[in-house]
Amino acid sequence: MDTIESLDSDISDIRAQIASLKARRANLSSIVLSLPHLSTHISQGRVADEPQRALALKRIAAQQRRITENTYRACAGATAYKVRDPDPHAVNNGHILGVRIEVAIRGRFIETYHVHFNRPNPRYKLMLKIHHHTIPSCIPLQALRNKWLPVTDKDKSVMVEQKLIEFGKTLRRELVAWHLRTEAVDKLRVEAGLGDKGTREKEERETAVMGKVLNAFVSSDDEDEDEDDVDQDAESQRRNAHEKIIDVDADMGVREISIAWSNGLTGVFGVTKDGNIDKAAVTTSGGVRVPEVARRALGRIEGLVQRLTA
Amino acid sequence: MAPTASTTGPDFKNIPHSHKLPVTHREVVRTLSKLSRPSLISLALQWLSKKNRDFCRPFLFGDEDPNLEDELEDEEEGEYDAAHSFEELQETYKELAARKGGKKEVLDRILEGDWRTGISMYQLATAEIQHLLDHPTALRWTAKRLARIPNSKSAVQDMEVTNDSEHLPRFQAQTFMMNLAKELTPLMKAHYLITRIKTIPITILRVYIHDSPYSTEASLATTTSSRDSAKAVFFVWPNGSPFVYVSLATHLGQVVGDNGRHLRNVVQQAIPKAFSRPSARYQLASTNFTARSLSALLAYRGPGKSNAAAGGWSIFADHSFSQNALDFITTQKSAALDKSTAGKEGATPGTKPGPGRPKRQLEDSETPEVKRRKEVAEGRFGSSAKANDGRGIERFEVRIDDPFPALPSRNGHQFEETSELDPQPAIRSRRGRPSPLNRTATEAAENDDNAMNSWVPDVKVVFTGQHVFAGIRELVEQGVIDGEKMPGWMTGEAGVTTGSVRNGRIRGKKGGVLGL
Repeated sequence: MDTIESLDSDISDIRAQIASLKARRANLSSIVLSLPHLSTHISQGRVADEPQRALALKRIAAQQRRITENTYRACAGATAYKVRDPDPHAVNNGHILGVRIEVAIRGRFIETYHVHFNRPNPRYKLMLKIHHHTIPSCIPLQALRNKWLPVTDKDKSVMVEQKLIEFGKTLRRELVAWHLRTEAVDKLRVEAGLGDKGTREKEERETAVMGKVLNAFVSSDDEDEDEDDVDQDAESQRRNAHEKIIDVDADMGVREISIAWSNGLTGVFGVTKDGNIDKAAVTTSGGVRVPEVARRALGRIEGLVQRLTA
Repeated sequence: MAPTASTTGPDFKNIPHSHKLPVTHREVVRTLSKLSRPSLISLALQWLSKKNRDFCRPFLFGDEDPNLEDELEDEEEGEYDAAHSFEELQETYKELAARKGGKKEVLDRILEGDWRTGISMYQLATAEIQHLLDHPTALRWTAKRLARIPNSKSAVQDMEVTNDSEHLPRFQAQTFMMNLAKELTPLMKAHYLITRIKTIPITILRVYIHDSPYSTEASLATTTSSRDSAKAVFFVWPNGSPFVYVSLATHLGQVVGDNGRHLRNVVQQAIPKAFSRPSARYQLASTNFTARSLSALLAYRGPGKSNAAAGGWSIFADHSFSQNALDFITTQKSAALDKSTAGKEGATPGTKPGPGRPKRQLEDSETPEVKRRKEVAEGRFGSSAKANDGRGIERFEVRIDDPFPALPSRNGHQFEETSELDPQPAIRSRRGRPSPLNRTATEAAENDDNAMNSWVPDVKVVFTGQHVFAGIRELVEQGVIDGEKMPGWMTGEAGVTTGSVRNGRIRGKKGGVLGL
């Protein structure tokens, strides 16, 4: 038993070592391949094996292409590329224009989104139509398309002007703003002492599968007699300083944040796309509004927790 | 727990969470006996947790009626002694969780012991949701989309994308539940449970339909005239998307009667009304998508990136097409590719070999021809349609609207845009559920227009199986289907389960963007 276990751990150790060495090798080889003037050296120098030289030149060319592509992607944020639709029945012979939008948060490129266009109308070569895309549904892609890429009716002879650049710009703004809001809510969670997203999800997985029941109140008509107590309770607690924030939650598009306090207060905050809190409603568990807290919440999304706990 | 005389008249209330069904009730027995032992225990612990106690009151020692004790002793008391407190019960179930045993032990304890007085509606609902989460392919779901009803006044407003414009229906559980109850209570009594699931990004609403004017416990316990019809309807909202998945909660082998379907439709019609606000009215639009697996639904009609990037386009959704913009390593990619293909080859003999020639398959698994076919399949399907990805579609149905190929086709290239640009907006909004089995009159007229003298036979192609597109991919890899000439809709890239094909392409929604 013992030996098997130790052998297993040895094997996994060696596997890990191999993986890290492979990564190191790949890293080093790409550094070597991206040395300036390397291709001139190789193509001019004498080599015994001619196919090897061709292979080396091919690798260098690939590396150069990657460097150019990455530089454009990193600097421009939105880049275009061409792909070929493998569908034999694809419109326009499967020529597809791809637009790639990079989202960078806190010095990292965290996500890449793609929109693919084809040219459905052979008469109007410039008219683009969205073919496929990877934009999440909380981004108003349809509205953006309606605005910047209107499709011309086939009966009309005049073509409506399409503004691909504007479309890309606004789409990128929407995407980045969404990621920034998500990021801001994660920060709020940390500020409220709730742990970041990773640990939260892990905890949840360990506890209950079933989530929060959202209508635990709806049918509890027979609990009416307790309500007065609760009301008074909340009232007295409201006077006190606010207690701990126990939950910070947001919808997928982060247009609405909800916060729950340990004393039964709940707040819902509307967020604009650029991250301002423009609407706020805070109520006690008895349903009484607490306008003074709501007023404090208005402002930037960052620092919401500080403003509420201050 | 007999209802008091004052509450027996018809009323306008919902069925509260705490109403109990007798433990012998068919729904109760059926639902609970489907669950596994760990699920039962975790449910019992949830029911006993502080916030749920009001809705799931167990039978405690204090509840025993001293007068009845003698009578009960023979029939009911025997096996399970009533616990003295919630904490004691929680300990009991924790002990049960710690040791091994059968599920019958736990089930009996729940039904005959701790909840012998009845299972509350809340418990029944949570049990059924638990079962749904344990078996995500247990039900058949239809994906619908909440679409804004176009309004002449708000049309201009809809176009604008401003700093605080909202393009998705706002989902506020409380308001929604209030509106829904308002719509439904005059028609039927119902128990609602709406819960946000934490492991997957969805919100589930379960509506238990009680077809009776009474909302009392006694009326709940008596089975209504509709013998075996499904009583509950599930609605699932993937968070942050305009879609709704609808399903009747059927038990295994249960037939969905007309009655059940009718009640589901009543609830379904109330859903968009409950979402609507003044000046923003919604309707449920079909998205031509039906599947059993919840993860398939989330992939094709979910909140993420994969909605409009199915089939071969999946490589754009999962980073296999474009690396991180700061990843400059070019040499590692080929190594990773080798590994994945090697892994696949190893897996192929394990999968079910095609009928007839399993031996040849093993022989030629190394030939360049096979390798090429695999590459073609990779190119057409990308990273989708893997047999074990859990995103299987069971049924894929298309109607071919192309004219019969024997005649020289004049319109092959000239009218390529027809499917997108037909000026028929009025029909689009009315078309509720286009069944591929019968052409609507307008579509027939279209066919006549476009293919003047050509003959368009009524051809339907139906694919069924565990995972239709994985099956097609395997056929491509085996060389049964020519991967290069195969039309794009056979890769599943259109993201629908029913559709009509014209010019080799699935006809899209006019003026719409795929996946929205």
